[in-house]
Amino acid sequence: MKWLKRAALVVLASIALMGILAPQIAPRPYDAQSRESADAPPSSAFPMGADEIGRDRFSRLLYGTRVSALLAPAAACVSIVLALGISFVAVSGSRIVFFGFSGLTTICLSLPWIFLFIILRAKLPLNTGPALSVGLTFGLMGLAGWAWPARVFAASIGEMKQSAWLMQARSAGVREWRIAAVGMWPHLRAIALAQFRILVPAYVLSEASLGLLGLGVPEPLPSWGNLLRDLQHPDIVRSNPWVLAPLGLLCIAMVCLELLQSSREAAL
Amino acid sequence: MKLLFALLLCVAPAFGTASKELRFAIPGEPKSFDPLHLEESNSQTISYLTSGVLVKINRVTGKLEPELADSWEIREGGRAIVFHMRSGLKFSDGSPLNANDVARTLARALDPKEASPTGDTFRSSDGPPAVQAANARDITIRYKSPKANIDRLFDQLGITPARSGKLPASAGPFFVSEYRPGEYVRLSRNPYYWKRDPEGHQLPYLDSVRVDIQTNHDIELARFLRGESQMITRIEPDAFDRVSKEKPGAARNLGASFDSEFLWFNESPSKTLPDWKRRWFTSAAFRHAISGAIHRDDIARIVFRGHAHPAAGPISTANAFWFNRSLKPRTADPQASLKLLATEGFHQSGGVLRDREGHAVEFSLITNSGNTVRERMAQLIQEDLGRIGIRVNIVALDFGSLIQRIAKTLDYEGALLGFANVEEDPIEEINVWLSSGPQHPWWPSEKSPATPWEARIDQLLLQQASEPSREARKKTVDEVQRILEEQEPVIYLVNPDYLCAIAPSVKGVQASPAPPQALWNIERLRIE
Amino acid sequence: MTGAVDKQGLAARLGLTLLNLVLVVVIGGFAAAALVRYSPGFDVDENSWNPRISAATSEALHASRARENELPRFYLNYLSAALRGDFGQSDSLKVPVSELLRDRAPVTTRLIVFGTAGGLFLGALLAWLAVWPRKSAGEIFSVTISGFFLAIPPAVLALFFFFEEAPLWIAVAFAVLPRVFGTIRAVLANVHASPSLLAARARGVRPLTLAVRHVAGAALPQWIALAGVTLVLAFGVIIPIEALCDVPGIGQLAWKAALSRDLPLLCGLALIITFVVACAQSLGELLGWEGIGR
Repeated sequence: MKWLKRAALVVLASIALMGILAPQIAPRPYDAQSRESADAPPSSAFPMGADEIGRDRFSRLLYGTRVSALLAPAAACVSIVLALGISFVAVSGSRIVFFGFSGLTTICLSLPWIFLFIILRAKLPLNTGPALSVGLTFGLMGLAGWAWPARVFAASIGEMKQSAWLMQARSAGVREWRIAAVGMWPHLRAIALAQFRILVPAYVLSEASLGLLGLGVPEPLPSWGNLLRDLQHPDIVRSNPWVLAPLGLLCIAMVCLELLQSSREAAL
Repeated sequence: MKLLFALLLCVAPAFGTASKELRFAIPGEPKSFDPLHLEESNSQTISYLTSGVLVKINRVTGKLEPELADSWEIREGGRAIVFHMRSGLKFSDGSPLNANDVARTLARALDPKEASPTGDTFRSSDGPPAVQAANARDITIRYKSPKANIDRLFDQLGITPARSGKLPASAGPFFVSEYRPGEYVRLSRNPYYWKRDPEGHQLPYLDSVRVDIQTNHDIELARFLRGESQMITRIEPDAFDRVSKEKPGAARNLGASFDSEFLWFNESPSKTLPDWKRRWFTSAAFRHAISGAIHRDDIARIVFRGHAHPAAGPISTANAFWFNRSLKPRTADPQASLKLLATEGFHQSGGVLRDREGHAVEFSLITNSGNTVRERMAQLIQEDLGRIGIRVNIVALDFGSLIQRIAKTLDYEGALLGFANVEEDPIEEINVWLSSGPQHPWWPSEKSPATPWEARIDQLLLQQASEPSREARKKTVDEVQRILEEQEPVIYLVNPDYLCAIAPSVKGVQASPAPPQALWNIERLRIE
Repeated sequence: MTGAVDKQGLAARLGLTLLNLVLVVVIGGFAAAALVRYSPGFDVDENSWNPRISAATSEALHASRARENELPRFYLNYLSAALRGDFGQSDSLKVPVSELLRDRAPVTTRLIVFGTAGGLFLGALLAWLAVWPRKSAGEIFSVTISGFFLAIPPAVLALFFFFEEAPLWIAVAFAVLPRVFGTIRAVLANVHASPSLLAARARGVRPLTLAVRHVAGAALPQWIALAGVTLVLAFGVIIPIEALCDVPGIGQLAWKAALSRDLPLLCGLALIITFVVACAQSLGELLGWEGIGR
């Protein structure tokens, strides 16, 4: 299994590197339109073919990887850090605090978050640059997505606090921070990784739906999310199977992330 | 038993060819089945198929034909019109229909408390007309001054029964028999419909029409190709090409429609728009330069797959009577645009266009999200303007937010939209051109015209609104088109072709660019 | 939270949970209503851009719909009516909300129930493959499948099944699968390593008895809690599926309501969804375990 984990790490690193080096690797700029080559099939000029307005799909995939492979994990990290913090506070507090936390997470899970993004779009100046717009989108997704991981963390921390080994450590006089760092952290890290695995694709796909509302990655900047929107039209997929490439990359990335976690860790 | 058999024999010829159901889809819920409350195109489509009207415009010849009224006269120099109704007319529930029902319907439409959009069509600047039903068959409508189009207006007045209900009765070829929100509307044949074909068979030929509610165009296409539906009334260019390949006889391109795609700039005194930007947008030279930098032929070729024609103004080139033939679509010439901009003090430095104060020319272009065609157009425009150093930021918004910006808050810079289901007569869109009109794109509901040419347009439009002669109106409308070409407050891009898909089993279709395109003679359609 | 509690303690917990439930539903509903009310596009409708409608008529139509402008009063009236079972009338569809929900509930319920059951079954199968045979091939296979389905947008999956004329609940099952796989795998791994199971296997207990009593039975509270949480997950997945595939269910209703800013409908939906989510969470808490999504 060890070799598999190493292979998964290498693949993930390659994907990230592909995104970072996109300006160097991409044969064309992501927004350059070759109007004579609209819907062109794969060729030496267009390795994965061209899209409906003549832009190179391969270059757009590389730049899209840059946006999604960097920002979706960043947003997932924001959610997880926020969730950890809030759940620690909730579990360490009184019963009322915990009930408040429980109610808050339920409300956050049921709210139609779509409206918050619509409101954000309304408040943002129309001429906001793509970098800021994209950053704010993923940032808001990260801030809005803390509820689900928080419940998981709270459950786990709560269980650990009741566990025998922790009580023993406490009665033996071990300091709180040491208990947290040495005892709790390995368990929480496993959970955090599991949540990370679920949040990353969820954020990639959410960004695609947000594109339908004007927030999300603005044109002509590509991202896995807005490249995946083509999948909604089976005709486009049938005429050029390379349209599935961003989906393929996302699948490979998710499988690698899953493989990084062994069943032993999963049992904790 | 013998009587039943005899009855069956009598009605058999009428049922001979009419044993099928026509199925097609509309993209959203019809908000109302009341012909006096048609606020959007889906309700309008249902109304075209169910409402009984006094006269109908033949969408192919453009002539007015008798419907519930078998004759009419225009009197007093275009101030009044008298309709003579047929006898023995009935609604689909069997209740009788006569001139009193027409008077009642018109009175309800004109009642301010009713807030009926149909009523707006019948009001004139002098106020509402006087309506009088002399007897059960004759009705007179009289305005204070001549009203343009006084006869053709009645193509849009669906006569309503006295008894309203969730699924109201109607006097057209079909009536609404079933409605499942989010799924479909079923229209059943009106057993009391007055019209017969030349052989004497009662129309309509079809037994029923099932109008599915389908937002997803790919699913609509899949259903059509599988044979589950027989018509796609508006099909996108990509889907059209697919139907052409798989069912060659089914794909129909009726040539340029009356619809148009256009962009404009915010010229209102909005607080969010800096003065130096407003100066660009209010300059005709700037607008001409933008218009001249856009490759309309690329838009027609790439975005619409060749199924569109460059536009030459507010009225489509396909509108044979009303289009001003002296106007031509602008051909793209970026160099000429740059020269024009130079006359206004714009200059290029480092590939970026700047105004005389040094501001980089950059603006946002809002459009509605979820419309692939419009988003692609925006990307082509972004690239075209990028080539002359202008940076365009495309923002696709959901429809509610978009309307809020262009109609209420006026917080936007450029906007890219289109009008669909445009009627043949430009008087329908008068609220777009009048400076006080709420849909006056670049400055809605102006208190007074901001420029002399807008004042001139207002004057011409009001003049033709009370002109009974179509030919005299045509001259006035030509002048309005000329001014709009000179000033170009709205940059017209293309007139998309009217594309539809009709299964070969559907007979009798006489599609035309005027809405409702393939459905206007629904009573004569049959499935074999 | 875990451990034995006496009858009084249980009654107190139940009471507090119920109170929490009510508070959460009321506050959640209000928060949702506020989000809708203050989002742009609420106060305008399509009529504003329809050239056939004059300004006066547009104003009159708008005024007739202005009853929702005072949010607190609207919400209080709405709540009191909702307690009597009246969820108001949809602004966009002009049909009572309760009628809409009643008509559409069977479609969505079918999708959710079958989808959840299918997803749990497949998740359990994959998790068993990953844990029980103790072969790395099984683990790699399970993990790959899970990762694969995690990456595909649920709506695209549904479209694929739609065009292949297969039932849509299968798409829901495949969308739910990766989201429960991790949890089931964790629970199974714990059970697999537990002393009681080892002892049972050593005694030679039959596989079926092993499965029913020592695996399913040992972690019954967790399974129930998981089922509840999965139902909530499935509902989240349903919305894009129904919206894209034009399925006349509650998910499509929610999406259309959001686009048209239909306040009565969204309020009703928010109250119901918050109630369902809160019930699922409370169930998990009462049963003493919320190991969701590990």
